[in-house]
Amino acid sequence: MGKKVLVVDDDPDVRMFSVTVFEENGYTPLEASNGEEGMNVIKQESPDLIILDVLMPRESGIRLYRRLKTDKKLKNIPVVIQSGIAKRSFLRSQKALTEFGGAVVPEPDAYLEKPVEAEDLAGAIKKFIG
Amino acid sequence: MDKILLIDDEADILRVLSMSLRADGYRVVTAASGEEGLKLFERESPDIVLTDIKMPGMDGIEVLKKIKALSDEVEVIMVTGHGDIDSAIESLQSGASDFINKPVKDSALAVSLKRAHEKIDIKRRLKAYTHELEDTVALATRELRRRSNFQIKLIRSSNDGIVATDRELNIVIFNPAAERIFGFPPSAVINKKRATDIYTPEIADVFREAMRSDSPEKEIFWQETAIESKDGETIPVRFSGTVLHEKEKMVGTVAFFQDLREIKRLEHELVNSERLAAIGQTVAGLSHGIKNILHGLKGGSYLVDIGIKRGDTERLKNGWQMIKRNIDRTSDLVLDLLSYSKEREPEYEACLPNEIAADVCDLLEESAQEHGVDLQKSFDPSIGEVLMDQHTIHSALLNLTSNAIDACLFDEDTSKDWHVRLKTTREADKLIRFDVTDNGAGMSDELQKKLFTSFFSTKGHRGTGLGLMVTRKLVEEHGGTIAVDSQPGTGTTFTMHLPYDTLTDG
Repeated sequence: MGKKVLVVDDDPDVRMFSVTVFEENGYTPLEASNGEEGMNVIKQESPDLIILDVLMPRESGIRLYRRLKTDKKLKNIPVVIQSGIAKRSFLRSQKALTEFGGAVVPEPDAYLEKPVEAEDLAGAIKKFIG
Repeated sequence: MDKILLIDDEADILRVLSMSLRADGYRVVTAASGEEGLKLFERESPDIVLTDIKMPGMDGIEVLKKIKALSDEVEVIMVTGHGDIDSAIESLQSGASDFINKPVKDSALAVSLKRAHEKIDIKRRLKAYTHELEDTVALATRELRRRSNFQIKLIRSSNDGIVATDRELNIVIFNPAAERIFGFPPSAVINKKRATDIYTPEIADVFREAMRSDSPEKEIFWQETAIESKDGETIPVRFSGTVLHEKEKMVGTVAFFQDLREIKRLEHELVNSERLAAIGQTVAGLSHGIKNILHGLKGGSYLVDIGIKRGDTERLKNGWQMIKRNIDRTSDLVLDLLSYSKEREPEYEACLPNEIAADVCDLLEESAQEHGVDLQKSFDPSIGEVLMDQHTIHSALLNLTSNAIDACLFDEDTSKDWHVRLKTTREADKLIRFDVTDNGAGMSDELQKKLFTSFFSTKGHRGTGLGLMVTRKLVEEHGGTIAVDSQPGTGTTFTMHLPYDTLTDG
């Protein structure tokens, strides 16, 4: 069994694209369609890497990212953001939440702005978990 | 005391008279002939000359004429022989002040001298007065010129074009700013053209109206119009004017023109730059939606490639569907953009608004159920068949209702029983009210402000940021209004009012 990679995205097309990339590169795919579901999968399956969208219903990638990076057990899981939102908008949102009394969170390990090429996504995963 | 020149060929008379006059306090010089008298006159400049008429050589009348030619200030008294009235008259005609008869009596001489002295005095005072008057006039003239120069400079340097006319509307003042606007040099219009020759008929009428004696309004307030310059250029201007009066009498008109070309140019530039900014905003607002679509297309083609490579029809099928879905999303986005950017006239047709609302609910029922949202209908049965634009109702309700479902979907409070209610109400003044209410996520004030005005989406891959903008545009084109009321965490109500017309028979 390959290492487990989770994609959290509300768009089924994006999940299918990501899952195909994972399988093609020998990883075991995991899927979640929003932040809430994503957290459940993470707790149950302990993925080796997470591909995370930003704007999603229920719980956004911004919040999920915060929860992961402030959780002692989960904060070492590499997170690659894959979103249509520009990186600086994501960082600005995190900064705003920090200013409103939240904890300081590190920048994501990698940030891929959609549209993302299959090779780039595979490359980003490989970089962290081989 | 006055100085007197005595001229007489008889030495005795000279001696007696001069003694008597000196005794009276006069300074006296004497001459024994007309020729000598003239010489002395030039040298001594006496105030009064007393000369005998009958003298050998130059006689008294000639002396008088010569002296008067030299000075008109001197008083000349003639001494005539008894009964020589002709000479006396001739002397007076030649400018003598008086004559006395021989033999010269002291009393008569004293009277005559007194009169001469008074005349000299009056003349002197008159002269002084005249000088003073001339000085004052000169001073006043200088002051007047200074002021008038100042006003001329003021008019010349004004940035407003100033055109003043007399009461016949002949142009009398035309400053350089007026030249810049109208294109005529002042020399071509001042006293040569009437204001009505260079004003547009519109402006000319305004002045004619104000000049009518019974017109209550003598002031013409600033108004915007355009004039045509000498070269046929249409120049936007602002003008004001007034009818000039002096002591209740109309004396002319004055008009002030402001050249608006520069302002209009700047306004135009501003509009252009605003349009560019709007395009920039549009592109930025759309980029998120476009990026998602591109990502989907890349994903689809990747799946198709893999499917072909591995002979995996499942992948091939999925990839192809993904491509088709994202082509649809592209076309939705483009159509939304087109309908937002294009003016559209509503097409008023007989329709049943409640049925359109019901259709919208049917369309969205599946998606509502899928997400656990209860879709409720509350339609006013008194709404019958009316004349409205079906497309507007359908498109707006579809947008608002699917937004409402999304609002539940995005709600982080999963303990709620979500519902979306679509309500129609017939109101007075031929209006139908549509309420779309949800108990979903709700919106902050800041978010509500952005709703209708910018390409803005909080909806992840679903949103293009165009939906509400298109809806607002459709509603406004239909002469309606749309408003929002929302509380974060509690829910949102969109209220739309659309006017309708009743069906007419036939």
